[in-house]
Amino acid sequence: MSTTWLPCGKYHETYAQDHAWWQTTFIRGKMIALFAVLFVGIPLLADDYGLSICNNVGYTVLGALGVQLLIGYCGQITLGHAAFLAVGAYTSTLMILEFPWPQALLDWGLAYPISILVAAVVAGIWSVFFGLPSAKVKGFYLILTTMAAQFITVDFIITQYVSQIGGRGQAFSLPVGTIKVGPWVIDSDLKVYFMMLVLSILLIAVLVNLLRSRVGRAWVAIRDNDISASVMGINVFGYKLLAFFVAGFIGGIAGAFWISNLAAISPEHFPWSWSLWLVGVILIGGVGSIHGTVFGSIFMVVVIEALQLVIMQFVDTSWGSRLFMDFLFVKEAAFGLVICAFMIFEPNGIAYRWWQAKNYFNLWPFSY
Amino acid sequence: MSIQSRGTKGFAFLFAVALIFGFSSWAGAAQINIGALNDMTGATSDVGKDYALGIAEAFHYINDTGGINGKQIKLYQFDYGYRIPEALTKYKLFKRLKCVAIQGWGTGDTEALAPTVAKDQIPYVSASYSGHLTNPEKTPYNLFISADYSTQSRGLITAWYDNKWPKKADYGKRKPRIAMCYMFASPFSSASIKAAKDQAEMLGFEIGDDQDVSLFAIDTKSQILALKEFKPDVVLHTNTVMSVAATLRDAYSLGLGADHIIKNWGFDENLPKLAGEAAEGAMGCAPWAFFGEDVPMMDKVVEYAKKYNPGVPLEKRTIHTVQAWANVLGMAEALKRADAAGDLSGPSILKNGFETMRDFTIGLGVAPITFTSEDHRALSIARVYEYTQGEFKLLDTVDLQKRWPEKYAKEWIGW
Repeated sequence: MSTTWLPCGKYHETYAQDHAWWQTTFIRGKMIALFAVLFVGIPLLADDYGLSICNNVGYTVLGALGVQLLIGYCGQITLGHAAFLAVGAYTSTLMILEFPWPQALLDWGLAYPISILVAAVVAGIWSVFFGLPSAKVKGFYLILTTMAAQFITVDFIITQYVSQIGGRGQAFSLPVGTIKVGPWVIDSDLKVYFMMLVLSILLIAVLVNLLRSRVGRAWVAIRDNDISASVMGINVFGYKLLAFFVAGFIGGIAGAFWISNLAAISPEHFPWSWSLWLVGVILIGGVGSIHGTVFGSIFMVVVIEALQLVIMQFVDTSWGSRLFMDFLFVKEAAFGLVICAFMIFEPNGIAYRWWQAKNYFNLWPFSY
Repeated sequence: MSIQSRGTKGFAFLFAVALIFGFSSWAGAAQINIGALNDMTGATSDVGKDYALGIAEAFHYINDTGGINGKQIKLYQFDYGYRIPEALTKYKLFKRLKCVAIQGWGTGDTEALAPTVAKDQIPYVSASYSGHLTNPEKTPYNLFISADYSTQSRGLITAWYDNKWPKKADYGKRKPRIAMCYMFASPFSSASIKAAKDQAEMLGFEIGDDQDVSLFAIDTKSQILALKEFKPDVVLHTNTVMSVAATLRDAYSLGLGADHIIKNWGFDENLPKLAGEAAEGAMGCAPWAFFGEDVPMMDKVVEYAKKYNPGVPLEKRTIHTVQAWANVLGMAEALKRADAAGDLSGPSILKNGFETMRDFTIGLGVAPITFTSEDHRALSIARVYEYTQGEFKLLDTVDLQKRWPEKYAKEWIGW
């Protein structure tokens, strides 16, 4: 599905061309335009609300990338990913608040970036720990073991012990100025947006490259049939654990990023339902597609906002206020319905539609 | 036309409408915009829905009775389902809509938003009554019309100590024993635990291990069995009503034999309905009157409940509606004072509005409220009710400021 169909008369002549990121001039132009919109257009045009929505989308993308890797590319179903986000967020926060940083690192604004990296590694290792059962179990049984990650990590370890460090009780608050990247203090939606953008692009690039490598092919082989993969000489257990590590690593970065937007965290910010939400994101966006992760995230965040803005117009009318109250419950049900609808009518998710549309224009006028 | 394309077009239409209307400016000439963030579908919706209805009804009342010195209030009310990322986004939307003040909800998002609110200088009146929000040095723009959770917990423990402990068989023979049930992971549930333990220590209680009771709990037998080993005389509950009711039921059926003292969100008209006989004798803090009680302004609360939400039977309305009215009436008064001073900016609403209130009475059974620039604890009084023989009866009123003036003024603010 990720294959791009080239316009008529264009052919790949080398492997390098075949694996190139941007295979035609048109695609290169398209991507430059996209970067222009992301780095210039949105920051110029969007206000704090718009940026806040973008940051929410970005957080969802960062969170869902690891889920996509595990479920979409390695076939390891996970329902405990919020735990790894929590590990990342708490590791980064604790490092910022408690670690005796040399003054020079603080002055150069390196404390937070270093804490992000450490958070990613800690979350990755923690994820591997919960990936160990994947050696013996899969499917529904693996779901249960990954759910245990949530209960053990967030509900037990973080809530009972980590949250108590420093006597702060349940909520860690990051004083203004502590989240600093180089010379920039991350204290506005715009700065959070740029950070989100850089992290998202970086992680997507790394993941896509990884998926094009031997490692990625091994993961896909395991997803498609782990016994066949094993017969071909792939170290199935080793690659599964590597997938858990990378997914946790990305989740750790997502969590560490999110504290820049919140300036405070508590275990309540990482509920189990968020893991479920992330699975919903990739189901709607498209399982086994990086595009799908982005599309699913946009869909899940923007549609809720858009629907609420629409309803808001009618609240002052007598029927509108009633609609508003009823809509609240419809909204929750609607999400379940949307996932069901996607499963039935478009099991490949939004990414498949995007692929069809893209190829229609790439092959135009012979797109039959 | 395929189902998919119809769906796509429908979505595109909705999104376009949202873009056209939602991204435009809303500020009108004689209109004051207020934002409201409520939980009607999330973790705290068991109490949040009634509160949200009360917010809308109370603003209708303000508008029907002349608004803010003639200016009408435009309320933008959202359900954020207790999802904190969504709360942050909605806050940004309120800023875009030029809301001059916000009616907020939970402790998690209110505390998370507190630094931003302070930076943006937008008065944020929350339904979170966390003591952490009462120190203007740290959270200058956070306010609420209630006794904070810490004051409630201290008052509850004191009221039990004064009224119930002397009647126990072991009185004078040993220290009273107290344990606390709450959701550890919830900033809301755990907000006043430190203060509660401080109060219990001060009064000479023996304190048992805390019990982690989820806000969604429907079975708490393991926690009650753990409590039975400690044999508490009294248990403090700081969750919302559903999990409190579940805990009371299990305590009753397993014969815990302790009294129960409950923070305001776990003590409402639904508690006896949910807990049945187990609610008998439960004590709770209610800084406001119960829905329908014979107090000033209650007639308006009932009238507007009937008028704007006729589909919700009055017998299902609760004290949380009254709480919402208290917060709205307090905010409206602050807006009127700021408007009279000719400035409806956030700093003016705070300085010329809230912080000029001295022993101001809003009715609804709420004690006179006072805000100063040094202290945002509106009330120092914890009104403690007891549910007995099918009725909520006022048991005691504990005024912490009068009883421990030094500690109240200097030590207890902000936690």
